[in-house]
Amino acid sequence: MRPLFITWEYPPYKAGGIAAHCEDLATTMASQGHSPVVVTFGEREEKEYRDGVEIHRVPANNGADNTVSWAMALGDRMEKKALELSKKKSFDLVHGHDWMAVPAATGIKKTLGLPLVFTVHSTQQGRDGIDSDYQRAIHNLEWLGTYEADQVITVGRDFCDEVKHLYEVPEEKINYIPNGVDLEKFDQHSGSLERQNYALEWEQIVLFVGRMYPQKGPGHLIEAMPHILEQKPDAKFVMCGSGATEHYKGLAKKQVGDKVYFPGYVSDEELLSLMKESEMTVAPSVYEPFGIVPLEAAACETATVGSYTGGMKDTIVHEYTGLHTYPADSNSITSQVTRALEDPGWADWLGDNARDRVEDNFRWEQISAWTTGIYSKAVEQK
Amino acid sequence: MKVLFLTRKFVDGDDISEYVKSLAETLVNEGHEAFVLAFDDGEYYSVDERVEVERVPLHYEGDSLYSWSMMLNNEMKEKGRELFDERDFEIIHANDWLTVPGATAIKKYSERPFVLTLHSTENERGFNDPNSEVISELEWKGGYKAEKILVNRQSTYDSAVYDLDVPEEKIEVLNPLSGDWHSSALKIYENLLNFKEIDLER
Repeated sequence: MRPLFITWEYPPYKAGGIAAHCEDLATTMASQGHSPVVVTFGEREEKEYRDGVEIHRVPANNGADNTVSWAMALGDRMEKKALELSKKKSFDLVHGHDWMAVPAATGIKKTLGLPLVFTVHSTQQGRDGIDSDYQRAIHNLEWLGTYEADQVITVGRDFCDEVKHLYEVPEEKINYIPNGVDLEKFDQHSGSLERQNYALEWEQIVLFVGRMYPQKGPGHLIEAMPHILEQKPDAKFVMCGSGATEHYKGLAKKQVGDKVYFPGYVSDEELLSLMKESEMTVAPSVYEPFGIVPLEAAACETATVGSYTGGMKDTIVHEYTGLHTYPADSNSITSQVTRALEDPGWADWLGDNARDRVEDNFRWEQISAWTTGIYSKAVEQK
Repeated sequence: MKVLFLTRKFVDGDDISEYVKSLAETLVNEGHEAFVLAFDDGEYYSVDERVEVERVPLHYEGDSLYSWSMMLNNEMKEKGRELFDERDFEIIHANDWLTVPGATAIKKYSERPFVLTLHSTENERGFNDPNSEVISELEWKGGYKAEKILVNRQSTYDSAVYDLDVPEEKIEVLNPLSGDWHSSALKIYENLLNFKEIDLER
């Protein structure tokens, strides 16, 4: 099949998780004999073949008033590119990712008469609400994406229900397919780490990875830090991620001083090494449609202590591949993190189980096959 | 000949609607066919019954006229494609930036010439909308892609040339308050039909 991916980000451009998702999915599809074509944003018009995937970049107009208008203007240019491409090769369907892709994806669907598959990675309601006109404009685009789509894909089981109710999506066109991890990337990795940059030799690294925003819950972990240290003084907290870093750094330093470290930007390589070295990762998210961190940690044989919310209800099995905490509850984080630190052997066992479970359940080969199955449904319906 | 008009509104009393209506009625009076594609806002319009009107609904409220009309144009692209499957229009006539995305997409798959009337330009309107830059980009795009640009007055002609870089030979001033502008418009259509070369690379 030849799906046309519409995404505003595709590596090396990366801001959120959609870029990595699209690359892993498209690359895997290509390895399974499909011919995905990606149209995405770039600084300039470019064409590239990488890992069997044809990638076209179009620039945006930065004169747009806000991100909604930006996405509309970009959509117009993406659509032009898609129309040009369609003169030479025909696409079987359009696959749009999140609201930024909706203007282009619906435009292409309508102009070329193609089936549309729409993946919802998160919702405006979940991110920061739908109070202003601007937020409503985004929410409405998300709704429109689900309305126009022949098939909708959501990345989490609970999240699937959320999307279904929020946008009133008919049962027969909504699907749940989890995200995956590229295990090869983790296994080929050398694993060398200048550990002394992060912690003293005897310290146990407790790792947070994520954007520093309330949705990801770094504040709840920070609140728990002094209580964890009372019981386990060898713990060392490493907080990786962009966002409101300075704000959270100030809070954390005031609480526990040198027992927390904010390394700033960390390369992908370095992050994998860090995950392997850590006793555990902590994912204190308040809202998390899927949450890739527990799976990435699992690929590194590291257990995750994560909130019992959204996708993490599925990606973590309590006391088997990691530990669940109550969302937004620092006492719960304190007790679960302490439990794992108390018994390093048990934490290792959890990490090994997590890795086995990822190998069995969250491989891109499988996810790609499920996705092309949904493509077939969308094509037949049309 | 068969002309497909694209206009955001089709409502009695609105100046662009009246412009489209009088051109469409002239066409049918002279034995041609005219078809109007517009947003369905539920408002009233009156037009000669030989003029066919199709109005598309839009289930989207944006945060600006710009974002709203971009999504409206997606609906027009779909309806335009369906209409082209049923009957072959010979000319696409769009009005202002509001219908440029739809018209350019329809031109691309129908390979038919595209006429754009700029009733005014963003520069003339003061360039003071938060989305002026992207609106002006659409005017530029229309000016670039259309085979012919019609303007109502000299000041719009000047703005099209200096602000939007439209080649002078592509623009025609047709004042809709003057008596004979309809016949000039029809002549422009005829010339376009005789001149078959449509540049689809643009």
